[in-house]
This record gives sequence, structure tokens and C-alpha cells, in this order.
Amino acid sequence: MEKFDAIVVGAGPAGATAAYLLAKAGMQVIVIERGETPGSKNVSGALLFSQVYSEIFPKFWESAPLERAIVGHAITFLGEQTSVNLDYRDLDEGHVPHNAYSVLRARFDPWMAQQAEDAGAMLMPGFTVDKLLQENGRVVGIEAGGDALMADVVVVAEGTRSGLLKEAGLRTDEYHASDVSIGVKDVIALPEDVITNRFQCLNADEGVAYTCVGHTGGVEGGGFLYTNKDTLSVGVVAKIDAVYKSKLQPHAILNEFKAHPFISRLIAGGEIVEYSAQAIHRGGVHLIGQLYGDGYVVVGSAARLLLNNVMTLRGMDVAVASAAAAAKAILAAREMGDYSHTALAGYEQNFKATNVYKDMVTFKDTYPLLENERLFHVYPELAGAVLGDMFTVGAKPSKKGLKALRDDMRGKVSLWQMLMDMNQIGKGLVR
Amino acid sequence: MKIVACIKYSLTLSELKVDPATRELRLATTPQRVGTIDRNVLEAAVVLKPEGSTVHGLTLAPAGAREAFREAIAMGLDDLTIVDSTNWAAGGPMATAAVLAAAIQKMGDVDLVVCGEASDDGVTYQVPPRLAERLGWPLLAYARNIALAGATLTADRDLDIGMQSVACDLPLVLTVTQETNTPRRPTLMDAVKAKKKPVVVWQPEADLGLSAEALQAAGGVTRIAQEGIVIARKEQLFQGDDMKALANQLLDALLAEHVVAE
Amino acid sequence: MSARTLTLDDLLGLDRYEIDEEQSHIQVDQSRCQRCQLQPCLTVCPAAVYVVTEGEVTARYENCLECGTCQIACDSGGAGGITWRPPRGGFGIAFRYG
Repeated sequence: MEKFDAIVVGAGPAGATAAYLLAKAGMQVIVIERGETPGSKNVSGALLFSQVYSEIFPKFWESAPLERAIVGHAITFLGEQTSVNLDYRDLDEGHVPHNAYSVLRARFDPWMAQQAEDAGAMLMPGFTVDKLLQENGRVVGIEAGGDALMADVVVVAEGTRSGLLKEAGLRTDEYHASDVSIGVKDVIALPEDVITNRFQCLNADEGVAYTCVGHTGGVEGGGFLYTNKDTLSVGVVAKIDAVYKSKLQPHAILNEFKAHPFISRLIAGGEIVEYSAQAIHRGGVHLIGQLYGDGYVVVGSAARLLLNNVMTLRGMDVAVASAAAAAKAILAAREMGDYSHTALAGYEQNFKATNVYKDMVTFKDTYPLLENERLFHVYPELAGAVLGDMFTVGAKPSKKGLKALRDDMRGKVSLWQMLMDMNQIGKGLVR
Repeated sequence: MKIVACIKYSLTLSELKVDPATRELRLATTPQRVGTIDRNVLEAAVVLKPEGSTVHGLTLAPAGAREAFREAIAMGLDDLTIVDSTNWAAGGPMATAAVLAAAIQKMGDVDLVVCGEASDDGVTYQVPPRLAERLGWPLLAYARNIALAGATLTADRDLDIGMQSVACDLPLVLTVTQETNTPRRPTLMDAVKAKKKPVVVWQPEADLGLSAEALQAAGGVTRIAQEGIVIARKEQLFQGDDMKALANQLLDALLAEHVVAE
Repeated sequence: MSARTLTLDDLLGLDRYEIDEEQSHIQVDQSRCQRCQLQPCLTVCPAAVYVVTEGEVTARYENCLECGTCQIACDSGGAGGITWRPPRGGFGIAFRYG
């Protein structure tokens, strides 16, 4: 029977990072990926934040297939016929890497898997791992299509849909629909120069990212629009329980978002070239899943490691950070010749020492915001109405901001409620 | 015995797009993979393989595409030879046959060559017969129910008019169809083992002595015209509650387009 | 402006699938679905894989985008009638962009 030092299940960012680091340290690693190529099953927005990547893959921006450097982030509130846009731009052209890049996963993930292969890992795309093999309560290998493979340690990196641990009776923490969102996305083709001009970019290497609130069919969630080289990624993310209560199908919510005049102008003339979807765990420090056990570690989205602070939703770099923390623990376990859960416990300590984990702690109070329906139903409309009152010279006498605000709030939200919400936003994002 | 399976790195036709304005085929952005017919080729070669024999893959492809052949090797090849087409200017079935023949001669002592009846993308049906001609071997095309007894191969030829049962002594060139067999799906173990199988890259000129001029002289096709078909949808929509009126409107439109006749 | 809004079938038609003709990766337990009040699968699936035909919930598995939403919605909002497993290796959705 074939035996490896480590079996990695899944060739996404988490799996590829673990495989890369373990192979680089001289371990015999096999990566088993169910897609016909790495990335062919994977969907993100997708924004890649550079910091963690550059620590593991120095100068990744020189060879990785990136779309555009994100030099602008905007938060947009969409009312029925209004938009209020807070548009941040980093106009310093000189520094690399940029804070973030847009990527398309089917193109980017193969690059990551290639790094692992170049380091000596064996990549096996096109095979679905059916189950984890156990002996005396410890994971000793995997089975795929009737073939068994053994290893000292198994790295579970199969993403949000992770089902192997549950079937092996090793996972006790169940998903709940209110903790998971459904993301749907259109990739829309537009000529490169049209995108560059329309989004006020200097050239085809620069791009922007919009995070939008409001106009998602009355369902709690948000929209996004990211610029790629010659495509736009346009999608909505909404809580699963909110979606089924609304009886609105996800693509209908996406259509409503795209029909908003602010968005429809940005995507005008484009041709949809792909439709995709992904379940997204809301993540956060309170909901981190099981990370390790006897003979295995769980990394990336499979361990529910995500960070959502309303403004950005980070999955890929969190996955990379967790995989690096796990790889470090595995290499230490290898020194001791012991892969029991006590030996692998270093993974959790390593992860808690990362900035990613510290960010998760920092934004732990942001999560109640995602539950606050006024954020989705009332304030986007209100923002547009107040600014509308202030800018508009009409038949009625003009109002100052506060007066406009009080008038526009009437019947929608009480002053007390709004102060409470401001406090919640402050606690989640500001203080 | 030495069996060679000729396989092709083909365009994925389901992914082929046509530029609506120029009707040009967007070949450069069409992904390529080992053809579906080649799975039948590999299956036939592996199944026929007698005890103590070897099956060798042979392809004309860019050396950079070697990863695309993983599954083909896992189906049961002992090794794969890629004749590098990276700097390949010549095109067409004549030049391809010349390259394959030169490679087979270089391999030496080959008893049987298995090809697909026609490639997934070119679909010319020309390479196997031209290859047989160059090797000076018989061609046994469209084979089913293939069996090997010593140095004699028997098969039923699937012809339009019926089946023709034939027996032929080796060496020969055999072609198979998608009906010949059901290709196996390699297991994970097959794929792991395939990782250790050698992949050899030959250069047409350095290793086979075939210069661009020689290939041109072999009688390459020098110009190929191809245009995609663009279907302009009229997207006429008939709406209303009166089904009879709607049906009449539809009928009128179809008559006007000469889709149906009076 | 786009000429018209694409229907869901149009959208799914843009995607590339390797369809497993031999087996479905989704199993539906009708006895559970029959007593399911909410039937969240009918709404949440982004590919409308789940449809009611002749009183039974059926899965048009060949359209599945493999997002995993149905299983979560069914387990926590439905009656647990859906068993979703990844398709066999190499089969199912194959994103070109992702």
C-alpha cells in the first residue's frame, strides 16, 4: 500500500499552502483535488489581500495570474433610486505589492498548486476523497474511488462544503443556516480599456472594488462589484435563512442588485460569461471550527476560518495563514515522531499568534451588525434621502442636514433606535 | 511485443467560440486536452497488450502540455513520447503522419500502432492511412471486437454497409471508433503510479531529423480557411392572452421566414 | 445595457459541466420531504436544482453549481431529506473563471 508523509485533501489556497510548506521541508506530500484542475470548483469574489501571501510566497505578484491591483475601495449605499458612495483611493502608484488584487480562482488556484508541485508535492486532480480512514480512533489515511492511501497526517482542506470529518464521526459542530450565506456571481466581459476608463483607473493594471449595501430584494445581505482585467465580478451575498424566508431565489436577488441604476450603468454593454455560486460561512472568532485531532488538521474554510468585517470578506488569506500555522505544527510533530492531537495542538497556538487571528478578535463585535436589518433596509435609503434633500434646490424651502435627517427618519426609524445602531456600528468598526 | 498508441492534444470543441463580427474561430483561447477518441485508443491498446508487452504513448504536442497527459498515462501506458510542436509551423495531416512515422521508426521494433479513426478537432480521417502508407504497413480501420493471437490480429471492421471480419498479420496500423470499447477510468492508484512513468520529449529536427523544409516537402497543407457559423436570433416575442391570435401571429412569422410553407 | 435579462437556464447554459451520466451526487429522501413545511431547497439553490414534480422533490443534479447551500438549508431549515456529496472526481461543474 502507498504511504505518504502527508495527504492534503483539496488544492485550494489552504491545501496548496500546506502542501507547499510541507514539501519544501522535505516531506512526501500528495494533494488530492476533486476538480479536473485546481480551481475549477472554486469560487470567490475574489479579492486577494497581499500581506499573508507575500509572507509565504515572496514576490507572488511577479508571477501569479492576478487581474488588477485594487487601488480603490468603495462602500456604496443603494436606495431605491439613489446611491451614496464612500470612495477611498490609494493613489500612490509606486509601491508593490498593492494591498489587494482581484483574481479569478480558476486561473489563480492552479498557480498556487504549481508552487506546491514545484516544491515537490504530488498533485492529483480529478479524484474525490470519499472518506477518512481511521484506526483506533486516529486518522491514518483516505479512501478515494476504492483506493486507500495512508499517511502520518491528513490535512483536511476541502473548503466550506467539508463533509469528511462529519462522516468520520469526528465533527460535532453543525452548520446553521443563519451562520452561512449564499453568494452568487456573474462574471461579465467588457473590453479592458472600457473597464479602465469607466472605473477611472490609470491603466489595465489598476482596479477598484465596490462593497454595496441595499437593493438586494429586501434580503439581508450585500452586493459587490470587482474589476478584473477584461471582466467584472458582480455578485450578492445573502444569509441562507433570510433567502428562504424571502422566497426570492438567489439569481433573482442578483438580478435586482444588477438592475439598480448605479450598478446597471457600471456593467452596461457587458456580456455575462459565467454564473457561479458558493456557500460562505460567516466566520469570526466565535465560530472557529475544530482545528485538529489525532492524525489530522483542518485548515481554511473547512475549519470555518473566515473574516467578515462588513467592508471586506476575507477567506483566501485567512486560509493561507491557517495552513501555514498548521504546517508549522506538523513539522514540529514530525520532529517528535508523534502526530497525536497533543502533538498537533501547536497549530492552534500558532494560528492564534497570527495577525489574521488578531484581526478576527478585533472585529468580533462586527458580527451583530450583519444581523441588523435596518443596515440593509433603512439606512441605505435614508443616506440617499438626506443627501438628496441637502443637494436639491426645489419648490420647498431647503433644509439643513439635521432637519433633513429628522424628517427623512420619520416612520422608518426612531432617534433612539438610530443612536443604538450608531453605537453598534461604532463598537463593530470604529472603537 | 511493442504497441504504440497515438493520441492527440485536441481542441475542446464544446469550448470553441466564434467571433460574432469576423466569424473567426477563437482558437487561441480554446482549451486543449487529450481527445475523447484517444481514450478509446488507449483502452484498445491496453486491453490488447499481451503478457510481457509494453504500450507506449506517442503524441505531437507542445512540450509544455505534458500535464494534460496524466490521465492518458494513468490508463496504462508504460511511457509517453512527446514530439515537441512548440515551434511547429507546418500543419495538416501529411506532416503529422510524417512526424509520427519517423518517431515510430526511431522507437524501433514496433508491432502495432493504434490510432483513433479521426481526431476530435481536425476530423480529417487522414493521419492513420497516411501513417500506414509511410510505414509500409497494412491499415485496419474502424475495428471492433479486436483480438490478438500470436502475430495475427483479428477484428470486425465497422463499415456503413455492415461488418467485415478480417485477420491480418502484424505489424499494422489499427484505428478504433468510439463504439469500439468503453474506456476505463483510472483509479487514484493508477494515477499515483503514472507519476513515475517516464515522459520523453523529442524535437522534430534534432531527434527525428525532420526540418521545417522537409515537412513542407512532405506535402503539408499550406492554407486552411475556416469560418464559424453565427446564428443571429431574432428573439421575436408574441405576448397576449388570446392563444388563437398568438398562434396565428407565430404562424405568420414562420411563413414570412419560409420556415414553413403554405 | 444588456439586450435582455438572462433567465436562469440561460445563465446555467454559459457554464461548463462534465455531466456524470451514470450517477447523481444528490440523494433526496421523499419521506422526509413530504413532511417538510418550509422546503427551503426550492428557494435557496442558485441553480434551481430542486423542483417539485408530481408531488415529489426531485434534484436536477446535472445543473448543480456545488455551492453546498442546499445541505445547510435542508439540515437546519428543512427536514434533512437532502444528502449532497461531491460528484465523482472530474465530474460536475468546471468553472472557467471562478
